[in-house]
Amino acid sequence: MIILQKILENINYLGGIALFLIGLHTVVTHSNLIKRIIGLNIMGTGVFLFFVAIGNVTGGEPPIMTEDNIGAIFINPLPSVLILTGIVVVVSMTVYSLSLVIRIFETYGTIDQKELTRLISEQNNHD
Amino acid sequence: MIEQLPIINLLLLLGTALIIPLFKKRPFQLSLTLCFLVLLTVLVSSVFLLIHVLEYGEFYYHFGNHENLIGIEFLIDAFSAFFTVFVAALVLVIYLYSWKDKTEGIENKEFGRYYILLFILLFSIFGILYSNDLFNTYVFIEILSITSCAIISIKRKKETYTAAFRYVMLNEIASMSYLLGVALIYMITGHLNLERVATSLQSIWPLYSTNIIIAIGFMTIGVGIKAAIFPFHIWLPDAHATAPSTSSAILSGIVVKIYILVLVKLLFRVFGMEIVEALHIKWIMLILGSAGMIMGSIFAIAQKDVKRMLGYSSVAQIGYIILGIGLFTEAGLQAAFFHIISHGIMKAALFLSVGVIIYYKHVQKLKDFEGIGYQMPISMTVFSFGALGMVGIPLTSGFISKFNLGIAVIDANLIFFLIIIILSGLLNVVYYFPIVISAFLKDNKEMQKIPHIEKVPNIMLIPILTLGVAIVVLGLFPNLIMDIIVSVVATLF
Amino acid sequence: MNDTILKSITRIIVPFIQVYGVFIILHGHLSPGGGFSGGALIGTSLILFTLVFGVKKAKVKFSERVAEISGSAGIIIYVLVGIVGLVLAGSFLTNIEAGFPAGVAGTLMSAGMIPIIMIGIGIKVASTMITLFHTLVEEEVR
Repeated sequence: MIILQKILENINYLGGIALFLIGLHTVVTHSNLIKRIIGLNIMGTGVFLFFVAIGNVTGGEPPIMTEDNIGAIFINPLPSVLILTGIVVVVSMTVYSLSLVIRIFETYGTIDQKELTRLISEQNNHD
Repeated sequence: MIEQLPIINLLLLLGTALIIPLFKKRPFQLSLTLCFLVLLTVLVSSVFLLIHVLEYGEFYYHFGNHENLIGIEFLIDAFSAFFTVFVAALVLVIYLYSWKDKTEGIENKEFGRYYILLFILLFSIFGILYSNDLFNTYVFIEILSITSCAIISIKRKKETYTAAFRYVMLNEIASMSYLLGVALIYMITGHLNLERVATSLQSIWPLYSTNIIIAIGFMTIGVGIKAAIFPFHIWLPDAHATAPSTSSAILSGIVVKIYILVLVKLLFRVFGMEIVEALHIKWIMLILGSAGMIMGSIFAIAQKDVKRMLGYSSVAQIGYIILGIGLFTEAGLQAAFFHIISHGIMKAALFLSVGVIIYYKHVQKLKDFEGIGYQMPISMTVFSFGALGMVGIPLTSGFISKFNLGIAVIDANLIFFLIIIILSGLLNVVYYFPIVISAFLKDNKEMQKIPHIEKVPNIMLIPILTLGVAIVVLGLFPNLIMDIIVSVVATLF
Repeated sequence: MNDTILKSITRIIVPFIQVYGVFIILHGHLSPGGGFSGGALIGTSLILFTLVFGVKKAKVKFSERVAEISGSAGIIIYVLVGIVGLVLAGSFLTNIEAGFPAGVAGTLMSAGMIPIIMIGIGIKVASTMITLFHTLVEEEVR
């Protein structure tokens, strides 16, 4: 029961870590390159969720200053701002790797890692 | 004024990257000259900074005049100033070489873009070295990883795509684990500034040890993948072998070293000796370093392609650096830093001289190197100096770094690792000497008939000659930089 | 895609998205949002346009050259504002100390240089988003 309560208390952190692991599993085990990129995005989402969850203050208000809430407890906005940068980075990484996948598909005609490995080793043996 | 130089350096590099696209319709030569002048200015101002720092001590740069509790901070000390000088000087030499080397699958249209990427890469390297903030380091690391992938895949050949894709994947996994480590650190300390994190980690280490251990694990593995420390090296040979020669030289000589320097910063500045000793990171690094030294060399012996061989050789040489850092003594760190410099110069010389050979002869397989010394005496001589340095023959800078490393290992009473250093040196002989011997001594009647100096543009030969001379000069007068390295290491302890 | 409903709806909706994006950019210092979110909105509206009308028409409206120059201009605005701080107050990106008007908190004209920087970021993000999308789409066509 205590364990259940602990899980409920830290559900946001656990969710972040779970997403991270699901993403890592997808990247490592799937041979489809697009699925790998999706896995990376899931991984990134997990980290971002974890980072944003740190900023939460129990009972805090959204960090928008108005005349009514001067002196109130605010949620820490810094992690959210930092994660904005992280999202930008992941977006650019995703676009870059997708364009690489398009090039790979043009040259090899496949986006399956196993197939690619076979084609490349055949080509090396041919040389 | 001198306090503004770091930001001026960064802005110059970023600004050049922004200005290059505007030159599209103007003469290309103009933008090349402009880039050269910018690099020269950056080098000169880095040297000024180094002199200033050595004389008056470190200083901080606060963005927007905010103090480091809420603002972003740069720390310019002997460590960052020295390595920025090294990076700027090496990039300047490689840049001069890249003027003419357009044959390697980089289309002319892409060449302007190549320099954009190069300048953004240099910008991020300077940022990483100056930055005194965990999250800013992350951002600069990401810029560095995107640009370093892009300077591989800019060559439109099919092998580069798969190599770059694998590099991107591992890079991104590494970045994500670094970011998760930063999150865990931020969670318990509430700071991102390196010094504030370090002080609060010392006080809360007994309270949150699990959290700190996980954070250290994520961060070091993240940086370790990018630095190609031994079990995480799988991306390196492919990526470095398929890239254009200039990119290979930059990636092997500089980029990998930057991640190692980030690791040094994390271990020495953030976590501190107490935590590092409690977690036995020393032994992990010693074992991984020596495993890298042996396995990298063994893999290199089996290669048929000269650039792949150089890539595996990089894995082995990174092992030396990790071993030196893993000793956690001043002597070990001095040896490691000297090896960072000397390996940077030697690898750049090797990759660029191979680049000249590829430019002229269009061969890349080891079996085509027979008798090539008669046709291309200059570049093969530089290659031989690089190879001798890698093996650790006296009079080259490689000898000095290995000698220092050996002394450091003996000082630390770890004789076992001395054996590994010697063994790895012998393995280096096995794969470097056959190339040199077959290039110069093997009878190849056809090629001996036409003894002539290679008809390669001078602008390609001058950089590799400079690097070759630098190897010898550092081998003869190591104290030129050793004195500075001593004061650099002093800032970390 | 050749659908009359889509085309006419897109024609109506794109300006609204863009105005909303500008609103988000300009209120970056007052409410959640700012340069990145607003720029992403503007970029998305252009992506919607591209999806419905095709790359060729989109290129006429927002050509590669324009995207490149406006992308550079975004960063240049940021850097120049930073340099103003450097010159006037001795540190890059200094805000109020460098003489930017602080204004009254809570009104649109406040927070010194932050709105200017937000505009720069917004331009950069919008042009980058559309460039990335066009690059990906074109690679597929080739």
